[in-house]
Amino acid sequence: MSTVRERSVPRDAGRRRPPVTAGHSGGRGRGTLWPYLLVAPAVLGMLYLLLYPLARAVLISFQDFRLRQLILGDADFVGLRNYRTLLGDPEFWEVVRRTFVFMAVNVVAIMVLSTLVALMTERLGRVARTVVLSSLVLVWAVPVVAATTVFQWLFHSEFGIVNETLTGLGFESYEGYPWFAHGGAAFGIVVVLIVWQSVPFAAITLYSALVTVPAELYESARMDGAGAARVFRSVTFPLIRPIFMLVLSLEVIWTFKAFVQIWVMTRGGPGEATTILPVYAVQTALAGQRYDLGSAASMLTVLLMSGVLVLYFRQLFRQEGEQP
Amino acid sequence: MSTPQSRPPVRRALRRLPLNAAAALTVVVCLFPVYWMVTTAFKPSTDIQSYDPRLVPSRWTFEHFRVAVGADGFALFWRNSLLVTLSAVLLALLVALGAAYAVARMRWRGRRQFMLAVFIAQMAPWESLIIPIYIISRDTGMLDRLPTLTLIYFMITLPFTVVVLRGFIAGIPPELEEAAQVDGCTRAGAFRKVAFPLLAPGLMATSLFGFITAWNEFTYANFLIIKQQDSRTLPVWLSSFQSTFGTDWGATMAASTLFALPALIIFLALQRHVTAGLASGGVKG
Amino acid sequence: MKYRPLALLSALVLGAGLAGCSSSGGSSDDAGDGSTALDVWLMRDSVSAAFQKEFETGFEKAHPEIDLRIQIQEWEGIGEKVTAALASNDAPDVIEVGNTQVAQYAQSGGLTDFSDRVGELGGADWLEGLAEPGSYEGKQYGIPYYAANRVVIHRTDLFEKAGIDPAGIRTRDQWIAATRKLNTGGTQGIYLPGQNWYVLSGFVWDEGGDLAAKSGGEWKGGLDSPGALRAMDFYRRLQALGKGPKDSDESQPPQAEVMAKGQVAQIIAVPGGAKVIEERNPELKGKLGFFPIPGKSADRPGAVFTGGSDLVVPAVAAHQEEAFTLIRELTGDAWQKKLAVAMSYVPNKTTLAGAVADDPGTAAMAAGAVNGHATPNTPQWAAVEAKNPIKEYMTAVLTGEDAGSAAADASRTITETLGSDS
Repeated sequence: MSTVRERSVPRDAGRRRPPVTAGHSGGRGRGTLWPYLLVAPAVLGMLYLLLYPLARAVLISFQDFRLRQLILGDADFVGLRNYRTLLGDPEFWEVVRRTFVFMAVNVVAIMVLSTLVALMTERLGRVARTVVLSSLVLVWAVPVVAATTVFQWLFHSEFGIVNETLTGLGFESYEGYPWFAHGGAAFGIVVVLIVWQSVPFAAITLYSALVTVPAELYESARMDGAGAARVFRSVTFPLIRPIFMLVLSLEVIWTFKAFVQIWVMTRGGPGEATTILPVYAVQTALAGQRYDLGSAASMLTVLLMSGVLVLYFRQLFRQEGEQP
Repeated sequence: MSTPQSRPPVRRALRRLPLNAAAALTVVVCLFPVYWMVTTAFKPSTDIQSYDPRLVPSRWTFEHFRVAVGADGFALFWRNSLLVTLSAVLLALLVALGAAYAVARMRWRGRRQFMLAVFIAQMAPWESLIIPIYIISRDTGMLDRLPTLTLIYFMITLPFTVVVLRGFIAGIPPELEEAAQVDGCTRAGAFRKVAFPLLAPGLMATSLFGFITAWNEFTYANFLIIKQQDSRTLPVWLSSFQSTFGTDWGATMAASTLFALPALIIFLALQRHVTAGLASGGVKG
Repeated sequence: MKYRPLALLSALVLGAGLAGCSSSGGSSDDAGDGSTALDVWLMRDSVSAAFQKEFETGFEKAHPEIDLRIQIQEWEGIGEKVTAALASNDAPDVIEVGNTQVAQYAQSGGLTDFSDRVGELGGADWLEGLAEPGSYEGKQYGIPYYAANRVVIHRTDLFEKAGIDPAGIRTRDQWIAATRKLNTGGTQGIYLPGQNWYVLSGFVWDEGGDLAAKSGGEWKGGLDSPGALRAMDFYRRLQALGKGPKDSDESQPPQAEVMAKGQVAQIIAVPGGAKVIEERNPELKGKLGFFPIPGKSADRPGAVFTGGSDLVVPAVAAHQEEAFTLIRELTGDAWQKKLAVAMSYVPNKTTLAGAVADDPGTAAMAAGAVNGHATPNTPQWAAVEAKNPIKEYMTAVLTGEDAGSAAADASRTITETLGSDS
């Protein structure tokens, strides 16, 4: 094991953290203006297209802003009323808890499956690899509404092939079984759908990262007698870690914001079984087009999400500091 | 088996069996719902959602594709979607490439803050930014115009593109570029000749991401394109098979099938570049 | 060399801009020959292409100073679209909206008030189910356009084979008995999905109940009243006489397509559904009949939800007077008669019911329309439908849960939603 480390770490460090001087001389050789010129378009874009609308959304969350105010203008400030309304709703905290469970289940499933798929794809032959990648892309490209509808059909109580198959296999109790009438089953189907839709992106991105890992690292590790699991832990994973963490954080964000699938499939039901924050926000905001409440709910969602990701951000910030 | 020469391939095939079986399973799980979508597009309406669901349609028809392609404004929607999506993706790639290079290869004050901002930008609550963006566009006369959509899609994909490209650029040893610079290339030339091919997988992942995101976007396209029916995009077309009597699912699935194809084509086109890039760049060596 | 992608990009963006410009050139107010361009939004399938063409030609002939431009809107996301239009500086001049949607737009102050011109439009004879939801706080914003309500679509050949005369089905008991007789072998007596809450609403109104009622200034959910519970019990008995899925509504799958498969004797739908069935399965041509939903007693048909559309004019619309001209024409007697015949609608005035007497489907619908009802007239009702506790309640009862407690739960949810401040 120690040999593996000795062999891989210096190379690893050499690749990801180039000698400081190299970065230095390059950056300074052109004067200090260059980096600012290069990021200027991105910064300007973010300021005008993101920060400015976001500031106005925050403003709306402190106002009494409904359809009337959207059409006629003149919104009044109401201070923290919208936030008080949301936080004072006992249902809200139940929804928050459910959102975290939903996110955790989805993210773990997505990351495990997509890592396995990415590792597998890398080892495949050329043709098989293209087939696997193409089918992943196809899944990713299927419009959400079509995918959601197909899943609804598969699990339909009278017309679905799942019930048909289960009944055919001898599970008579699934004859006409209403999946979407039972909280647990509906929750499970939504999770399956979201995992199915999310794995392609994660797997393709992880695969893109994997192919940049030099093959010789594996060989030397294997020559040192490391098993597959050990090679993954001490060679592969450290190298793809930045991309892995990135995908992980993106999946956290995206499952936190999953909406269309749930809305089309169950509208948050049965009961409250599949009501997570975005669904709750739309249900609340829809009452009389309450854009103010919807805005406040979004801000709370962003805050909660940041809570999950703050550790990641801190680590990222530190890491950036270490790099040239 | 009988001849010694054939034994190693067989044994290798046997050794690879679990791997290929896993690959086959992945493909089946991935494609089954897609398969269901595509076959639905070929089934006569009365066979869709029948009491006796079948894996293979008993009858085939092109009727739904005819309906889907014959919808009003079909060609126009395609043109608009392609225009908006491709411009947004190209713009994002260009802007992100500069920013990612600056972050990964240069040292400057504010770099960490910039990166943090980019990360936080990924959490942007786009669903509730729609009202402010609507108001801003209205007040600046940008409603009903495709460039507005282009800019929004650009912004939705930009943070992701910056972060991923930065990761990939950081993974390329600067020594390679330095060597090229020693050989007489300019810094930009060195980047283009040496680093660019190595970036291919990253560029593929990000442009595909941008393409699919912008290609599927419905809410903003519906809310910001109001009176100009000529400026509507494809997702609006997908929803045009709903009527008071329910949705024409056959046509919707046919449209969805056609809708998913460009992403696959783009992927296949880029895929060749990726392998070519890897070969010429010699990363593996 | 770095400029090449840039140039390509700017060409693309510029192209997009130009495309936007060229098409917006068409929307300028002058249509070129000095006439005024009038933008009208109608919903998908609310008029047939043939009727639209006929109307456009006829209208422009009568009003050469107006250049009529009808745009067909899609159902998906229409709420957001209308909202965006009302709030914009350049709204269309006339918009078709669902009758139950008018209140929330009116409340927002985005619509033109037509109260003082109701007489000019013949408002005294308007269908109550369209005129009432089109008004808000005593003012008329929505002008009745057309209505439709549910009837029973049945297979005449199956009825004949079973020896049942549809004209003889006048009460619920007769209906259940006939349906039971039809429900044999491979045939379903009735295909009634478990979540068709409009049908349940009709039964509730028949029993003297309501989905929600206002008492003392507060709206209160009414699904747990004894009458509403009796209605649910009847729905359960009827639903059991077929293989309707207990956990989905009439659009998933579209019930007309289920009936087109040929194994269903009856569905409850608007008469226009028959056209879809015949289109899907031409063998059923001429084998479809209609009768009004039977009531509790033979002297009165069953209560139905009056669906339909009103026409509204955004307050910011540029051509208010021309918009009114269009509304006067389209909701006037001459075009209403043609529209009702062409599209199988109930015309917007009670006095025009005779126009559709020849069409069996529309006639059955008009017979049922006498007992038409609307959903509770409060802007908050849209929020109830968005979550729809009624559907969940129905599935719960049909899958064996206790009706009393499920109804109490659903009613409480409705009360809470309607009570959240507006």
